[in-house]
Amino acid sequence: MAQKNRAGTLAAFLAVLYYEFLWNIRKKKIIAIFIIIFAIATVQLAFAPIADAVANPPQTLQANPTFTFDGIAALTGIFLFLVGVATTMNTVSGEFESGTIVPLLTKPVSKTLVFAGKVVAAVTTLLAAYAFLVAYITVGGTLIYGPQDNLNVVPLGILGLTIGSMVWASIALTLGTLSKNSVLAALGSFGFYIGITIAGALIGSFLGASTILFYAPGMGASGTTGACAGLERGGGQTFSTGTDGLASMLMRWVLNPGQVLNFCGFQFRASGAPTTTLLSSDTFANVAFRDLWVSLVYVAGLLLLSWFAFRRSQIAES
Amino acid sequence: MPDDRAIETHDLSKKYGDRLAVDRLNLTVASKQVHGFLGPNGAGKSTTIKMMVGLLRPTSGSLSILGQGVRGDNPKVRRKLGYMPELPRFPKHLSGEELLDVYGRMYGMSKTERKGRIPELIKMVGLEGRGKDRIGKYSKGMQQRIGIAQALISDPELVILDEPSIGLDPVGMVEVRNMVKDIVKSGTTVFFSSHLLAEVQQVCDHVTVIHLGVMRYSGTLDGISSNVFARRRIVIELEKPVDSVLASLKTLKFATAEANMNTYTLHLDTREDVRAEISRAVTGAGGVIVRMQEEGGGLEDAFLSLVGKEGMA
Ligand SMILES: Nc1ncnc2c1ncn2[C@@H]1O[C@H](COP(=O)(O)OP(=O)(O)OP(=O)(O)O)[C@@H](O)[C@H]1O
Ligand SMILES: [Mg+2]
Repeated sequence: MAQKNRAGTLAAFLAVLYYEFLWNIRKKKIIAIFIIIFAIATVQLAFAPIADAVANPPQTLQANPTFTFDGIAALTGIFLFLVGVATTMNTVSGEFESGTIVPLLTKPVSKTLVFAGKVVAAVTTLLAAYAFLVAYITVGGTLIYGPQDNLNVVPLGILGLTIGSMVWASIALTLGTLSKNSVLAALGSFGFYIGITIAGALIGSFLGASTILFYAPGMGASGTTGACAGLERGGGQTFSTGTDGLASMLMRWVLNPGQVLNFCGFQFRASGAPTTTLLSSDTFANVAFRDLWVSLVYVAGLLLLSWFAFRRSQIAES
Repeated sequence: MPDDRAIETHDLSKKYGDRLAVDRLNLTVASKQVHGFLGPNGAGKSTTIKMMVGLLRPTSGSLSILGQGVRGDNPKVRRKLGYMPELPRFPKHLSGEELLDVYGRMYGMSKTERKGRIPELIKMVGLEGRGKDRIGKYSKGMQQRIGIAQALISDPELVILDEPSIGLDPVGMVEVRNMVKDIVKSGTTVFFSSHLLAEVQQVCDHVTVIHLGVMRYSGTLDGISSNVFARRRIVIELEKPVDSVLASLKTLKFATAEANMNTYTLHLDTREDVRAEISRAVTGAGGVIVRMQEEGGGLEDAFLSLVGKEGMA
């Protein structure tokens, strides 16, 4: 019986993508991610009006033209982590756990294509989730807090949130592929998140914004628009410049490319308060660019590792 | 490219750690026939099949499917192949029809092809009216049936079924047998594993017997009884026990003898008809034969002797 159809690689890829979405939509995983996002955005939107209403005496709500921009910039850390990990923790390991990997991999689609389909589905899910979130706080913000500034850079915020979240998602995907266990993938990622956060905080408080933090995933180094010596006096604004802060950095890159960020270090002396010294300084443009490629290198490196592990894997369990 | 060979393996071996699950298997499955792969539990059937469909990498040796060497990830070979895993598990959240549809897409089937094929298969495997139900709600036997359907979705040249009738009721087993017969009629090669001799006997022209990872026989079904040396027994009942009869039987070169009261059993090491010689030996020693009967030598006994008598149904 001759095969009438010779589907190209594209058709096979689309079939895998369809499989991935069909499965995840049916499992209501995608819906769950959207609900989490909706809940968090609603809290963000409703916080000030509720606080004002219950204040004594009640306050009238102030117009806030930077609500949307600040709202996007505030989405970092555990939020990006949770959404990212929820998206990919069982992407590969779930197939092993349920045994569905057996019929899947015996279809005429290469392992590489299956893996690519899963990654593209995860990125698309994150992109859609963050686009929904940003649209929601933009519309909600305009209705509640009046017209919003800088809406032109908001798409960059969506991109930044997606890539920043993908760093964590890639860690979960890699751990899941290596362990073939979703729980281990989630716990391992969480352990990694806690570890990197604590290590980052320790480095930050003893050494300051040292170079190593530029290249670590997570919150990264803090940079200030003020002078380092004046840090205690509250001069300038402080920004987190790690992979978690990518959305904020990308938006500021466009708005304020030449603005200089100073990275300060501490020197502890035998007696008296530690002194603050300038370690390095750079423009928003350069910091954001570095942040972008550091994030992308993490994502690409981790995906490469899990692609390799997936290709090598044998399916011995029935 | 040998057109007439659907499957060919050369010294195919697979080790799990230190355990040799498949040991230098040289198997040839000719096209357009039903080939049974028979062996007791743990014989290495599933391991061999998983290497064929690319789930496992051979430890050594090689294999080719439909004339193409299978090394590493080879989706091109799988395009012409339908496979039903042992105890298959599919995404529970999809319906039977959705499953067939998404797998059909992976084979590059067009929408019209899928639309035509899916209801046909659902009907064929006896899931009519249940195609829209989620697989998670299927019984074990129904999951087995959808497993057969998905193996046939692309109308493959070669179908590999790993224990297709496990978990089916007796009616289901007959249905599967008939399905296999229908599939091969359309020119498809079917290779299926089983630990049930009776099942293989009813559908296969050719059979390969494997035990402890080693191939014990491969050829036609009829060839087994003639090629495989199955131990025959001759049971003799005497009027009363006579000691000298046993002594006399023990001198026969082609058999080993044992006695139990007035019943004497001879395990034959020959395929020739030796009843006359035996009868002469008994009467010569003063025994009076009441009954003399030959036992064994059938297909069943041939299999039992192939797999060392243990574990074969
Ligand atoms: N994942 C595995 N890890 C280690 N050993 C395994 C694994 N799978 C199978 N084996 C061993 O390999 C041998 C052959 O197993 P296999 O599953 O191929 O047998 P089978 O002929 O399919 O048996 P059954 O009729 O029970 O399905 C057995 O000794 C089994 O214990
Ligand atoms: Mg088996």
